[in-house]
This record gives sequence, structure tokens and C-alpha cells, in this order.
Amino acid sequence: MKKSALICILTDVHLWVPVVILILGTALLMTLR
Amino acid sequence: MRDATTTAATRPTVQKIVRTGISLHKLGVFCGLSAAVWLGSAEAPTKLVNEGFSPFLISMGMVMGAFVARWTIPTMLKGTGFVFDDLREKPHLMVWALVGGMLWAVANTLTIFAVRNVGLAIAFPLWNTNSLVGLFWGCLLFKELRGSRTKDWVKVIGGAGAIVFGAAVLAVATAQQNAGTPGKAAIGIIAALGAGVLLGTMYIPYRKAYISGMNPLSFVTIFTFGELGTVFLLGWIFYGGTTPLLAELNRARPMLFWPFLGGFCWVIGDLFQNYAAKYLGIGRGIPLSNTNQLWGLAWGALVFGEFAGMSNSGKLLITVGSIIMIAGAVSISMAAPPPSEMENWNAAMHRECDRYGLDRENVAAVVAGNDPLADNKHPRRWWEILIVCVASGIFIWLAVGTRAQDIFVNIPWMVVLMIGTIVPLGLCGTLLWRRTRFS
Repeated sequence: MKKSALICILTDVHLWVPVVILILGTALLMTLR
Repeated sequence: MRDATTTAATRPTVQKIVRTGISLHKLGVFCGLSAAVWLGSAEAPTKLVNEGFSPFLISMGMVMGAFVARWTIPTMLKGTGFVFDDLREKPHLMVWALVGGMLWAVANTLTIFAVRNVGLAIAFPLWNTNSLVGLFWGCLLFKELRGSRTKDWVKVIGGAGAIVFGAAVLAVATAQQNAGTPGKAAIGIIAALGAGVLLGTMYIPYRKAYISGMNPLSFVTIFTFGELGTVFLLGWIFYGGTTPLLAELNRARPMLFWPFLGGFCWVIGDLFQNYAAKYLGIGRGIPLSNTNQLWGLAWGALVFGEFAGMSNSGKLLITVGSIIMIAGAVSISMAAPPPSEMENWNAAMHRECDRYGLDRENVAAVVAGNDPLADNKHPRRWWEILIVCVASGIFIWLAVGTRAQDIFVNIPWMVVLMIGTIVPLGLCGTLLWRRTRFS
């Protein structure tokens, strides 16, 4: 994958929203465990 | 990001195809309702699992069954050549498919904690709020409902709210029969709400993929790797290593057929849900597929006799909750997006095309169900037969020597519900094929 493609992906808000929610959800799961 | 001509080069025989017939909105509604039927029915086989196995293990069995089915169904319908061509055109979307699968796995594990602590009756409506979360993200990130008329806002938000409220009423009714585990209620409620947020957010990757012109069959093929990988990682953590996890799976071998079968049904439901997300958007599609609670209830009440001896007030609550849920689904079904909203849908699509160098014309055609590649013949490969044989072999191997819990099953009602499950598959599958060639 080209560098420009990677930058487009990494700076996409459509990626960061689910990734942040995933991190928070995983943290919640580990806490509840 | 990429030169659009490069993308076009991988489509050497692109030609404009405009298929007519049923409107995409109606098609999406059929897909959403068929998804509900199959997602609800997926719960039925798991009821035959003997007691003594953790819900997490049953869930893991469903994911493994789903993994097998997710590879087999796209291979049978479109062939691996089509799926690989589609993925090669939009490789960036594999990242979102993996993230979507990971979100699902964490959310599903949270639902297990929620059910354990507060019972299904309270947990289910709480995580059913995922449709409202999806609606929020659809509006915020993909311009769904923007530019729509006030009456459409009322129909969609009112309909989604009615479905969540109907779920809560059904939950209260079923709680009379199945009390949850006492204690740790707060943890259970937090887990259920967390699952709702994660599941609602999982629809961001769905929608992203479909406004970029990806085929749902290609998307779920990658999605399942994120799903299975995360479930195994969580299993590894929860069971304390590979050896205890494998030992537990080995102990569960005689019952694994049932969650595998549930996973198979679940994949069909999820595929319809993906098509609903594509053709209706997540704001409208997800609330419709969330009416699956009605079908789960029908299996429980009619086939497994779970509510025998229920009080009249309980029956009244179930009737009222079901009517509210159906009214919500009807309300959303009648809220077709007007041209002013479609302009915003197109703006969201153009954002993806410009950002990732996709061909606007091709993406627009795929989004409209007219994928130019869909009619191209992709040669069948020898490994496609192998995939289907291996998948069938796994199911046969698990079915041999499987044991079922000795519970009451009403055979006539089971036949009725099985027919009611297969008919939407045939009907909606035919509509999808005729109108979009499964694009």
C-alpha cells in the first residue's frame, strides 16, 4: 500500500471513531472481567 | 490517493447496466426484515445445547460456525474471483472490515456479561439501543437523514424509538418468566449499554464500505477474520492460555454442532443486514433488523414452550410490545429518502471517491445496485469446490454424534417457523439477484 494511502486511512475520522470506541469497549470488558 | 484510471483498468469490460424493478428502498426494507427473521432464528439451535457450558463457549462456537459460513456463502454465490477483484479495487476497506469484526467480538462478549448479571430480559433492550447509536453515526458521519423532510425524521426516529421501546416492553413480559441473576446489576447494565454503543458503532465500517461500492459478500469475508481472531484472543485471556481453551473446546465437541448451526443462520441474517445497511442506510436498516427479538420470542414461545402458564398480564405485555415493535418497523419502511436527502448520500459517497481515488461513476453504479462487474463471468476455481466440501464436511463431522438437550419441542410450530424462515430467504434472495445480482 502506498504511503499516501496509509496517511489517508490513518487520518480518516471514520477510522478513529470506531477505533476509539473499540479501545474503550475493550477496556470496559477487561475491567468487568 | 490513487489514480482513478488505475482502478478503471481493473474493470476492462465496464459497461453501463441499469436494472429496473423493485425500488432500492423497498429492497432494503425486505432485506432488513429478512435479516430479523434469520438473526432471530439463529438463537433457536443454541437452545438445544446441554447445560454446563459457558455462554462464552457457545458464543465462540457460533463465531466458528459463522467463520465457516462466511467463506462458503460468498464463494457459492459469486466465486472467489469476484470477491478478490472487489477487494483489490478497494484494499483500504479491509482495515474497516477487520475493525468491524473486532467491534462485534468485544460487543458480543459484553452481552454475555450483561446476560449473566442482569438476565436477557433487561440486557436485550439495553443493547438494542445500538440502532439509535447507529442512527446517530449515520446522520453525523454519512449525512443520512440530512435534507430530509420533517415527517421522514419523525418516521425514522419515531420508528427506531418504538422498536427500542417495544423491546423493553417484551423484556418486562419475559422477565416474569426468566428472572436474571441477582446482584451485580450495575455491572450488567453497564456491559449491556457498552455492547449497544459498540454494536451501533460497528455499523460505521458497514456504511463506509457500501458508499465506497464494496460488495457486502466481500466485506463479510474480511470482517470474519477480525471477529474470529478477537474471539480467540478473548478466549485465550479468559481461559488462561491455549491449552485450557482447547481442552474446553474439546469437552464441548458433542454440542458444538448447535452453535455452529446458529452461526450459519446468523451469517445469512447478517448478510441481509448488510444489504439493508447498503440500500437503506444504517439509520433505517438497523432498526428493522433489530426486530429479530420478535422472531427469537416466537421460537421460544411457540416451539420451546418457554412461556407456558404465563399470566394474562404477561401475554398482554407481549402482544402490546410486539405491536409497538411492528408499528416502528412499518414507520421506518414508509420513510423513503427524498431526493434532497439522496444528494447528501451522494456527497458522502463523493467524499470517499475523492479521498481514496475511486472512480465516481463506477461507485455510483454499484451503490445503485448496478455493479458493472456483477454480470461478468468469473471463472470458477478448483479451490472453491474445496472450500464448499470442507465447510460441508465440518458440519457433517460435528453433526455425527452430537447430543441435544432433552427439552420440549413443538414440532408443528417448528415446521411453521422453519417455513416462515425459508420463505423470506427465497423471496428476498430472488429479489436481490434480479435487482442487483447480489451487488
